[in-house]
Amino acid sequence: MALVSGPGRAGSSVLPDELQLAIQAHVKYIQSLDTRRDELEYWLTEHLRLNGLYWGLTALHLLNRPSALPRQETIDFVLSCQAENGGFGAAPGHDAHLLSTVSGVQILGMVDGFEELEKRGKVVKVGGGEYRGKEAVGRYLAGLQNRETGTFTGDEWGEEDTRFLYAGLNALSLLGLLELVDVDLAVDYIVSCANFDGGYGVSPGAESHSGQIFACLAALSIAGRIDTVDKDKLGQWLSERQVDAGGLNGRPEKMEDVCYSWWVASSLTMIGRLHWIDGAKLSAFILKCQDPEGGGFADRPGDMVDVFHTCFGIAGLSLLDFEGLEEVDAVYCMPKKVLERILGPRYGEND
Amino acid sequence: MASHNVARPATIVPRTEQERIEEEREIRQYRELEDLIKAKIAERQYTVEVLELTSKLLKKNPECYTIWNVRRRLLIYGLFSKPSDSSLLSTESQNTSLTGIPTTSSEKLSSSSSISSEVSRTTPQNPAPQSHGKNGTTLDIIKADLDFLFPLMLKYPKCYWLWNYRVWLLQEGNKRLEADVARELWMRELGLVGKMLVKDSRNFHGWGYRRTVVSELESSKLNGRSMVESEFEYTTKMIHGDKGLSNFSAWHRRSKLIPRLLDERNADAATRRKFLDDEFDLIISAMYTDSYPYAQSAWFYYQFLMTTLTDYVGHATITPNFKPVDRSEYVIRQLAILKDMLDGAEDCKWIYNALIEYTMALCQIEGRGPDSDEKQDCEAWLAELRKLDPLRSGRWDDLEESLRK
Repeated sequence: MALVSGPGRAGSSVLPDELQLAIQAHVKYIQSLDTRRDELEYWLTEHLRLNGLYWGLTALHLLNRPSALPRQETIDFVLSCQAENGGFGAAPGHDAHLLSTVSGVQILGMVDGFEELEKRGKVVKVGGGEYRGKEAVGRYLAGLQNRETGTFTGDEWGEEDTRFLYAGLNALSLLGLLELVDVDLAVDYIVSCANFDGGYGVSPGAESHSGQIFACLAALSIAGRIDTVDKDKLGQWLSERQVDAGGLNGRPEKMEDVCYSWWVASSLTMIGRLHWIDGAKLSAFILKCQDPEGGGFADRPGDMVDVFHTCFGIAGLSLLDFEGLEEVDAVYCMPKKVLERILGPRYGEND
Repeated sequence: MASHNVARPATIVPRTEQERIEEEREIRQYRELEDLIKAKIAERQYTVEVLELTSKLLKKNPECYTIWNVRRRLLIYGLFSKPSDSSLLSTESQNTSLTGIPTTSSEKLSSSSSISSEVSRTTPQNPAPQSHGKNGTTLDIIKADLDFLFPLMLKYPKCYWLWNYRVWLLQEGNKRLEADVARELWMRELGLVGKMLVKDSRNFHGWGYRRTVVSELESSKLNGRSMVESEFEYTTKMIHGDKGLSNFSAWHRRSKLIPRLLDERNADAATRRKFLDDEFDLIISAMYTDSYPYAQSAWFYYQFLMTTLTDYVGHATITPNFKPVDRSEYVIRQLAILKDMLDGAEDCKWIYNALIEYTMALCQIEGRGPDSDEKQDCEAWLAELRKLDPLRSGRWDDLEESLRK
């Protein structure tokens, strides 16, 4: 999956009043992404390849076209990104990183490919033990938890961020291996990141940011500890992200952007406050960011489309119950149907 | 991440044949360079030559994290730890320059910014003698690498990998250099991040980096002392700067520093009370004088100050000695100020929102339900909120229900 932006551009004011979701165009756009190897940008965005595949595949699932990318090729590609330490790199030959590993796990989950991981995944030897399949990936992830503070690093070089903590819990729960990490300590860490406005930042003391709030709430949801959140205070802050144009921004007095349709709206969903913003206006804003002919979504009307904003635009619409879309899960940003298959029909009930 | 804020031209012009061929050539060169680096690393060639190759690639694509990792390995396994070569390498770095980096980066810098040259003027030459060959070479390499990064950070201020690599590099300095030498490096960073925040006063990475730099400089391993006073002054300066009142990043930082500041000043009850009064004066006079009653950053800071009175448990507090009677006295005073503020700003939803919230908070502090006047006021304010802010009507519905309880 390429992160090459364009060629389409999001519509501006020429769209008809009755905005439609250009499903066919979006499917075609996503399918075309891997054919753009003759563009330099395709190669310059290789560090996001596995994330890109996750974004594209999630969008296709939500558009009810889960088979629009070939399943076997998808699995083969994901497995070809696995590094010797069990984690996944962004593309073959890239170092393992938590962010590409969670994408790899989510993709395999969506295409029901864990069995192939068990059969064909790397065998990893650590500390006298030999691990394969899901457990090799789980051991890699667990090794990234800071056992003193509970948070996670992105890779062996030590950068810490609440995004990584979420990514770790997300992937481990999909693999059924949460018991490999100290979940209570992770929860304590998130609680220590809470600010007076109810939000969360990258680490204790850091400014509240919608992307980090999503990560922290989703991690707390996976841990079954959403009760630690000051829901009214955070709900107020999150609802103030909606600007007059209908879109959402990430922090006070910043520009709106389609990707925050996901980070903010999913956060509001997780704390039961999605009705605190104007869903109809948000839908209209998201739809204005699509390119109805070439497919894809941009950050704002009139800008270049890309697969990242395409995924989060469509996921935002799904949260808002837009007609014809598959239901998305606010915690995992994956179809609910898929999660019921992986985690069981009663998953998330302890939230 | 992908394309943020990139406008697309009105018409899409297909590439000419010549442009296509040119792009193909660029792709080939890029991929060959990446393959070459990986091949050399597979042969464990941890050399200056390969470092230069990574510089070339990373200038073209600073997002390529695997190559940043290659660069780290080059330093750790090769260039940092060659005690016998240390004198040779440090002479090399004087003339041919270790990697060719300092020359190219300073050229770039002179056109884009003068920060690095200023910083280097104020940085003393390595003062420590080379014990175990530690400081000389390693210091030169780290400095050269920091100089290499800087123009890239100006060009790509939102690239995570750049900030991340920079912190790693400095932390390697902590491990490998004597404390006062490492400390000098972090001091340079403080100047640098200050200038970056002048360029973009809300940069999330910039503020995060500033916290990291300050906490390193405060740490005992670098013989540090608390910088809470100077950091607090810094937020005052930022708030009074251009568009400062809308700079929520600065307000946030201020909110985090205050409790520590007062503790370290050993502030007594009277001093704390005066401090809280001054902060209220600051934010309220700002709202009046700069026609800012509509800026939410200022309102969130106001919320912080009120939180120290109303959400007494589990939050930072400025006046821990306050009894409920002091807290309600303060809230009553603020309610009066808010009511005054409405005069001429009847269309400011933030005032109505605050009036309702703190009227209810007052009842809670005083352990009672709202009286009939308060109820009537709240209903009237809520009606204004519904009129002024229909986007959030669902929130007002819930608020109405909670007022009925």
